[in-house]
Amino acid sequence: MDSRVRVNPAGTPESQTTEGGSNGLSLYVHIPFCETKCHYCDFNTYAGIEALIPGYLSALETEIRFWGRGLSRPKVSTVFFGGGTPSYVPIEGIEAICAAIFEAFDVDDGAEVTLESNPGDYSRHDLTRYIGAGINRLSIGVQSLDDGLLKSLSRRHDAETAIGAYQSARQAGFENINLDLMFGLSGQTIEQWRDSVACVIALRPEHLSLYALTLEPGTPLDAMVKSGEVADPDPDLAADMYLYAESALGDAGFDHYEISNWSLPDRESRHNLAYWLNAPYLGVGPGAHSYLPNRRFAALRSPRRYVDLFGGVLPEGDPVEALSSLRILESVEPVTATMELADTMMMGMRLSRGIRTDEFLARFGTDISDVFGPLIDELSGMGLLVSDEVGIRLSDSGHLLGNEVFERFVTASAEANLPGNY
Amino acid sequence: MDLSHIRNFCIIAHIDHGKSTLADRLMQATGAVSDRELTAQHLDSMDLERERGITIKAQAVRLGYTGADKSEYQLNLIDTPGHVDFTYEVSRSLAASDGALLVVDATQGIQAQTLANVYLAMEYDLPIIPVVNKIDLPAAEPERVASEMASVFGFSDDEFVFVSAKTGEGVVEILEAIVDRVSPPKGDPDAPLRALIFDSKYDSYKGVIAYVRAVDGRLDRTGPIRLMATGATAEALEIGYFGPAMTSEESLETGEVGYVATGLKDVAACRVGDTVTIGGPSNADPLPGYEPMKPMVYTGLYPADGESFPELRDALDKLRLNDPALSFEPESSAALGFGFRCGFLGLLHMDVTQERLEREYDLTLIATAPSVGYKVMLTNGGEVEVDNPSAMPPVQEIDKIHEPWVDLSIVAPSRHIGAVMELVTSRRGEYTRMEYLQSVDSNREDSSSSAAADARVLLEYKMPMAELLVDFHSQLKSRSQGYASMDYSICESRPGDMVKLDVLVNYTPVDALSMMLHRDNAQGQGRELVSKLKKLIPRQMFEVPIQSAIGSRVVARETVKAMRKNVLAKCYGGDVTRKRKLLEKQAKGKKRMKKIGSVDVPQEAFMAVLSLERD
Ligand SMILES: Nc1nc2c(ncn2[C@@H]2O[C@H](COP(=O)(O)OP(=O)(O)OP(=O)(O)O)[C@@H](O)[C@H]2O)c(=O)[nH]1
Ligand code: SF4
Ligand SMILES: [Mg+2]
Repeated sequence: MDSRVRVNPAGTPESQTTEGGSNGLSLYVHIPFCETKCHYCDFNTYAGIEALIPGYLSALETEIRFWGRGLSRPKVSTVFFGGGTPSYVPIEGIEAICAAIFEAFDVDDGAEVTLESNPGDYSRHDLTRYIGAGINRLSIGVQSLDDGLLKSLSRRHDAETAIGAYQSARQAGFENINLDLMFGLSGQTIEQWRDSVACVIALRPEHLSLYALTLEPGTPLDAMVKSGEVADPDPDLAADMYLYAESALGDAGFDHYEISNWSLPDRESRHNLAYWLNAPYLGVGPGAHSYLPNRRFAALRSPRRYVDLFGGVLPEGDPVEALSSLRILESVEPVTATMELADTMMMGMRLSRGIRTDEFLARFGTDISDVFGPLIDELSGMGLLVSDEVGIRLSDSGHLLGNEVFERFVTASAEANLPGNY
Repeated sequence: MDLSHIRNFCIIAHIDHGKSTLADRLMQATGAVSDRELTAQHLDSMDLERERGITIKAQAVRLGYTGADKSEYQLNLIDTPGHVDFTYEVSRSLAASDGALLVVDATQGIQAQTLANVYLAMEYDLPIIPVVNKIDLPAAEPERVASEMASVFGFSDDEFVFVSAKTGEGVVEILEAIVDRVSPPKGDPDAPLRALIFDSKYDSYKGVIAYVRAVDGRLDRTGPIRLMATGATAEALEIGYFGPAMTSEESLETGEVGYVATGLKDVAACRVGDTVTIGGPSNADPLPGYEPMKPMVYTGLYPADGESFPELRDALDKLRLNDPALSFEPESSAALGFGFRCGFLGLLHMDVTQERLEREYDLTLIATAPSVGYKVMLTNGGEVEVDNPSAMPPVQEIDKIHEPWVDLSIVAPSRHIGAVMELVTSRRGEYTRMEYLQSVDSNREDSSSSAAADARVLLEYKMPMAELLVDFHSQLKSRSQGYASMDYSICESRPGDMVKLDVLVNYTPVDALSMMLHRDNAQGQGRELVSKLKKLIPRQMFEVPIQSAIGSRVVARETVKAMRKNVLAKCYGGDVTRKRKLLEKQAKGKKRMKKIGSVDVPQEAFMAVLSLERD
C-alpha cells in the first residue's frame, strides 16, 4: 500500500479531523445520470433527465466550493467519481468539477482520482482529457464478457466494446484500471464465468471487483424473479463461481485483499480502503453519504431538488448544520462509540488483513480480546475466523459467510463496554 | 315490561343458512337499527366474524314490536353461530330462551347442524318455529325442504314460515309467529332476584360484564349483587340491554335479557352459568346453569417472543369470560419455553381463539400440533390422561392407549354416499346406519333416478376423533362437491394402535413437534412433516438433518444443506448505516427464531404440523 495515503485506522476522532496529519479526506462525487437504467440497479441514478445535467454540474460545483470553505480547504487523498455513470456526462463537465475540487480542497500530489465509466461511452470521448483533468484511475463497468448475459442484464454494451474500451484506456495512458464483473447471474453457467475470468486475467488490469448479483427489493429484476419470469439466482452456484475466481486470480498473481476485490501488488483501491478502514469521507451530490468525525449524514436523493436547493442562498457556519437547515442533508446520525466500534468491525473484517490488534488498541483504548474475546473464540471454533497476535480476520471459508460474522460483531458491539475516556 | 309481553327466543340453523341476515331483517322491521346504521350481518360485530363471514359469538338484541293485536312486545333475540365448534354458544343461548327459530336454507335443506341444533332445542323442550329461508333464490325448493323438515322433525304444514332474509319477504309473519308461539317467560316477579349468566366479557373500565337473563325478581342498582357459585359480591355499576349496542337503563325486570357491569377486576369471580342474586341474605336456590364443556382438541399456545407468558395468562383469563368453552393450564416445552395447554371444541375454535388472543390482546403466538386426549393404561396398573404427545409415558411403561371416538353424522345427497363411505373408512371409521331424510312417497311423484340421486341421506358412523383433525372436513367437502355437511360428538374411548412420532432437528428431539398417530399413518405423516420442515428451516452454517422417528426407528429424513454464501457483495457509496442496519435486522430475525440445540428454527416451522394433509 502506498504509505502517503494510507488511512490510519487507529486515528482517534481528533486525529481524524480534516486538518490534521498527512491523511486526508476521501471525497466521493456522485453523478446521478445513466443512459438507461439497468434492471438490477437500485442506485440513486436516473435515465431521461439529461436536461438537468448542466444545472446539476453547476450545483455540484457550488457544493464542492461550499464544503471547501466550510471545512477550511481540507486535505484530500482520494477522489472517486461514482454514480450513476460519470462517463455519460460531457467531458467538459468532469473537467470543470475536477478544477473546482483542486481549487476548493488541498488535494495530495499523489492522490488517487478514480472515475467510473461505461464501455459504451468511450467512443465519444478523448480519454486523454480525463488524464489532463487529473483523473489517474479508471473503473470500467464490464460486468460480463458474454453478450447474452450482458443483454439479460439490460446493459448497453457487448463484450467486444468492453475489451475495446479497456484497450483505448491503456492507449490513452491510464496505468491504473479497475474492471467490474458480476457473477451469480440468472442463467449464467460456470463455464461462461470461467471464460470471463480467463479473459480479464489476460487483459491484466491493476484491479478487479467481482460482485455477486444481489436482488435489491423494488428493482425490476427483483419483481421479475418474484413473478417467475426470470430464474432465481442459485446461491450455491454463485459460491462455486466465487471460489473458482479466487483460485484463478490467486494463480495469476492477484491479491485478494477484500471480499469482492482483487488487485496487483500495491494497487488496492485507496478510496475504498477509506470505507473499509472506517476513516472519514465526504460525499457530494444527491444521495451521497459522508462520515466526518462523530457523525454520518446523507444528502437528499432527488437531483432536481438538489439543483434547486443549491441554487439558493447557503447559510454560513457549521456546514453540516447549514445544509441540514436547508434539508439538503437528511438523516444526520451522531456516531456513538459503540456504533463506531460496530462499523470498524463490520467494515474492517471485509479486508483480508482484518482488524489489527495494535490499531484496535490505539483507536478504542482497549484490547480487542477484552471487548470481543468470547465471540472471537466462538467464531474461531466454528472455523470462520483466524486470530493471532497480529489481529483477527475471516478464514478462507469465512469469506463467503461474512455476514454471519459481521452480524455477531455488530450485535456484540452494541453491548460492548468501552473505556470511559474514549 | 309485563311478562306476558316479553318473548325470548334464539335463531338456530346450520352454518350459512341465514340466521344473522334474518336477524338484520328483524332489527330493521322493528326499527332497532336504522337503515342507515344497518350493516349486513350486523350482529357479527367482531372483525374476525366479518372477515370470515361466520358468526362466532352468540349475540343478543332487544326488539320493540307492535303486534297485529296492536300491543307492544319486547322481543329478546339471540343470534347463534352455526358451526359445530361453537355449539356451546347455541346451548347456552337456548337455556336463556323460551323458543327457537329453526332456519333452513331452501336450496340446501336439512344439514348436519340442523339436526344437531334441533336435538339440542328439544332437550330444553322449547317450541320451535320452522323457517324456510332464501326463497328468493332461483334454486330454492321451499316446498320440498318443508316436506323434508316435516318428515324428519314432524312439523305440520301450517307451522312453516317461508321467508327471504334478503328481500324481507315473510318477516312480519315471523314476528307474529314469535308472539303467538313462543311462550312468555315463566318467572316470578315477586321472588328474590335470580338471573342466569349466559355470557360475559371483560371491559377495562367496567370490569366483568355479565350478560344475563332475569329469571325471577328484578335486577336494579338499589343494592349490591352476589354471584352465587363464587360468592363474589359486587356493585351493579351499570345495567342495561343490547340494542344491539349496550344501552343502559334502570333495571332488568323478570324475563328480560340484558347485562350488568360489576366492576369486578377478578375474572375468576364470574362464571358463565352462575346465578346473580341480591347481595344480602337470600334463600334463593341457584339456577341449574350449564354443563361444562369437555375439550375435544388440545394444543400448546406459546408466546412467540418466549417472554410474554404473564400477558398470555392474563389474556386467556379474560378471554375465557367471553368463551367458556376454552380451557387452559400452564405447561412448558424445551423448544418453546413457558406456555399453556389449551383445550378447544374443534380446530376452528382453536384457530379463532388464537386469532382473538393475537388481535384483542396484541400477542404473537405459536401453536403446537393439535392432539386429542388419550387415556393411557400403564403396565403397573395405573391410568393417566395425556393430552400432550410429549408427555406420553415411555413406551415400555404403556400397556394400552385408548383414544376418543366420535359419533359422526354426515348429511349428503345420495349420489355421494360412495365417496363419503370411502373417506370415512379410510379414516378408520365404522358405519352405523343410514336414513333417507325424505320418504320417497311424500310430495314427489317422480321417482326417477335423478331424483333418487338428489335425495339426501343422513349417514352415521363411529370414527376416531384424531382422524377428524387431519384435513377431514376439507376432504369431505371436496369429495362431495361441497354438498356434504357433518356433525360429531365424542361417544366413547377405545384402545388404538397409537404411536408417538418424534421430530429430531440436528439429532435433537423437538418436543413441540411430537404427534400421536395411528401406526398405519405414522410413516406417511412423518415423511410429509419432515419435507415441510425442510422448506421452512433456513440454511445454517452447518448441515442440518431433520428426522422423524417412532421410538428409535427413523421413518423419514431430509437434510437442510449448509449455507454457503451470505455476504454483501458491494460497499456502495459509503452507506455504512444501511449496512449496519441490515446486519442488525438479520440478527433480530434470528432472535425471533427458536433455538433447537444450535439450530435456529423459525416460528412457521412449528405451525407446519397444522397444515399436514392426508393421502
Ligand atoms: N339470496 C339470499 N341470500 C341469503 C339469504 N339469507 C342469507 N343469505 C346469504 O347467505 C349467506 C350466509 O348468511 P348469514 O346470515 O351469515 O348466515 P348465518 O346462518 O348467520 O351463518 P353462521 O352464523 O356462520 O352460521 C350470506 O351471504 C347471506 O347474504 C336469503 O334469504 N336470500
Ligand atoms: S449503469 Fe450502473 S449506475 Fe447506471 S443503471 Fe446501470 S448499474 Fe445502475
Ligand atoms: Mg351468523
